[in-house]
Amino acid sequence: MRSTFIIAAPLCVLAVGLAGCGGTTGSAGSGTTAGADCSSSKVFCVGLVTDGSKIDDKSFNQAAWGGVQKAKDSFDAQVKYIETTDAKDYAANIKQFTDQKFDVIVTVGFLMADPTAAAAAQHPDTKFIGVDQSIDTEKVKSTNLTGLTFPADQAGYAVGYLAGLLTKTHKIGAINGLEIPPVEKYFKGYEAGAQAANPKVKVVGVYHPAGGQPFNDPVWGAGEAKKQLAQGVDIIFGIGSNTGNGALNEVAKTSGAGTTLFCIGVDVDQWGTVPEAHPCLVTSAEKLISDGVGELLSQANNGTMKGGNFIGKTGISSLHDFDSKIPADVKTKVDVVVKKLADGSLQTKVEL
Amino acid sequence: MRNPTPPPTLRETVSGAEAPTPSPPVVAERGAPAPPRGVLGLLVREQSILVPLIALVAAFLVGALLIRSQGVNPTYAYKSLFSYALFGGSGLTATLQKMVPLVLCGLAVTIPLRVGLLNIGGQGQFMVGAIGAAAAAYALRSAPGVLTIVVTMVIGVLAGSMWASIAGLLKATRGVHEVISTIMLNSIASGLIDWLLNGPLADREVPYPASHAVADSAQLPPFGFVPIGLPIALVLAVATAWVLRRTTLGFRFETVGRNKHAAAYAGISIRATTVLAMGIAGACAGLSGAIELFEVDPYRYQDGIAGNLGFDGITIALLARGNPLGTIPAALLVAAMRAGAPHLGFDTGLRPEIVDMLLAITLLFVSLPLVARLIFRRHTAKGNELASSWGA
Repeated sequence: MRSTFIIAAPLCVLAVGLAGCGGTTGSAGSGTTAGADCSSSKVFCVGLVTDGSKIDDKSFNQAAWGGVQKAKDSFDAQVKYIETTDAKDYAANIKQFTDQKFDVIVTVGFLMADPTAAAAAQHPDTKFIGVDQSIDTEKVKSTNLTGLTFPADQAGYAVGYLAGLLTKTHKIGAINGLEIPPVEKYFKGYEAGAQAANPKVKVVGVYHPAGGQPFNDPVWGAGEAKKQLAQGVDIIFGIGSNTGNGALNEVAKTSGAGTTLFCIGVDVDQWGTVPEAHPCLVTSAEKLISDGVGELLSQANNGTMKGGNFIGKTGISSLHDFDSKIPADVKTKVDVVVKKLADGSLQTKVEL
Repeated sequence: MRNPTPPPTLRETVSGAEAPTPSPPVVAERGAPAPPRGVLGLLVREQSILVPLIALVAAFLVGALLIRSQGVNPTYAYKSLFSYALFGGSGLTATLQKMVPLVLCGLAVTIPLRVGLLNIGGQGQFMVGAIGAAAAAYALRSAPGVLTIVVTMVIGVLAGSMWASIAGLLKATRGVHEVISTIMLNSIASGLIDWLLNGPLADREVPYPASHAVADSAQLPPFGFVPIGLPIALVLAVATAWVLRRTTLGFRFETVGRNKHAAAYAGISIRATTVLAMGIAGACAGLSGAIELFEVDPYRYQDGIAGNLGFDGITIALLARGNPLGTIPAALLVAAMRAGAPHLGFDTGLRPEIVDMLLAITLLFVSLPLVARLIFRRHTAKGNELASSWGA
């Protein structure tokens, strides 16, 4: 009968197409290679759990994964990652790695602090590295948990100083992710640096409302950037993974980008990761995440990793194409500030 | 040309008494060919179960093609996904924990769907229910555990119900289309709750925006691998199906859904039914929010508690084709896939989006009644629409 044929035919075609189904019964590509037995002491397995953003978010998580992959190259570690899609899954995702007896688990992001600490307490033989998680050493005594934090306020101060010197309208802005200490430190450093460079400057900032996906909402970021540009802001600092990327792209699309309007990236040198922002991207406030993660992983490999807090390094990235367009005296002043922040002679005085 | 079979008549048994008439089968219109018998007849009669099943199978076959294109063996991928989600201890707990809010949010969309309304506001209603429960739990923090739980559940239900009734009232009194009003109310809820989380309800001890945690005596971790909310959700789904089919209230809802004008002529108040349906839907979503607050680990209202649940409820309702009992298997499927996605990613390296794609393809296939009509066009009884409020 015709209707039987219509039901059966497409299904048969699909079934035939899949007959002799090949494909690996193991990992697909994309850098995951762990198939070996991680519980053996000869195999060093490193796992990474993202915080709700993607592994190629062109910022935070990508930098952390970059650090893990450096470890894979330098001492032949087996590496794997899990992208978290739902904030309630953090503990379950960490458990995927602890069930397989991974040696080190890197959890990326402030929001994973509590699940990471709980897992560290339950699994004293596994090492945990919490990127951007500040460990309260009074409450948390696990020696297998290290929090990798960065003086984000210093990086914010440096770019704020540059922005304060570059602005013509004396109004600069920032588009922030969720209102958590790592983001607040960047923003408050940005404010302090701008005020130090240019006492007349006005800094506007907006935080993403809680409850959505604060670090993965480029549409909101673009909308807020548009609003700030309409208010006369001429330099925008995008703080917040993919949300900030939305703001950067919006500024890059606006007329005047690169001549009167500029944008500043965050966490990594976004010149390489967000090419669409080239028209306006003068610099980025960097947390040297890959280096920090790589350093801690080699400590873990040697067995020298201690618990507690580990302070990483920050910096600002090169000016790339804007190097010739920024006046030389501005560049010198900013270099001096960066040097003074690094050796401690200049304090940002940012309190949270 | 076959002779049309006569319609079912009263049959006389040996003792002369009347046998009860069978429930109305799928009847052909006058002059149309007879209802089919045999296997195709079975398929036609049970199409409300079979169409989703066939759609599911077809979607999984398409998904297998996609997985294969990534270089992974589809059988291995599906085995990895479902064996973790349905048979592993922690995987099963995760699945059931995800299933509870999905069933309730699915009910929150299904009930107005029977009345002919489309409730897109599940997200906002869930959030308002959860924040109401969080506020009440904080106010009652020194009360005994059982009292706290009962009172805060009630408050969560009332909060969600109130939030949905706003849209219901607007529709009943002013004719505002509920799709628009519920979506707008989602945004309002989001902004309102953001203010509450950073202001009056904030827990200052925690460095991110979050409400105070529920008191230890009132927390409800899973019992073995069964979350406490699961029996509640299942009972509510069955109860909804029973009410819709066996009570006067359900009769009113169904009648308004099938033909508003006939219902109005018969004396059923459309306005009251609209508001009541939205109110009950909001109550389900609000209850879901309150249960999520008490059941899931941080036991506080914080970023991510609502996730995508309101909109997943729409997926569940459509997968269940508007049948409250169908929300249970639909929720189990969606929960299993979502819970298994990280394990799938761990085992095979596939991105978690593959699960979302599978669900979207399933939904696409299920929501094409045209396909069913094409196949069964000579035999389908008329009046098979899901929602009749479009443009009305």
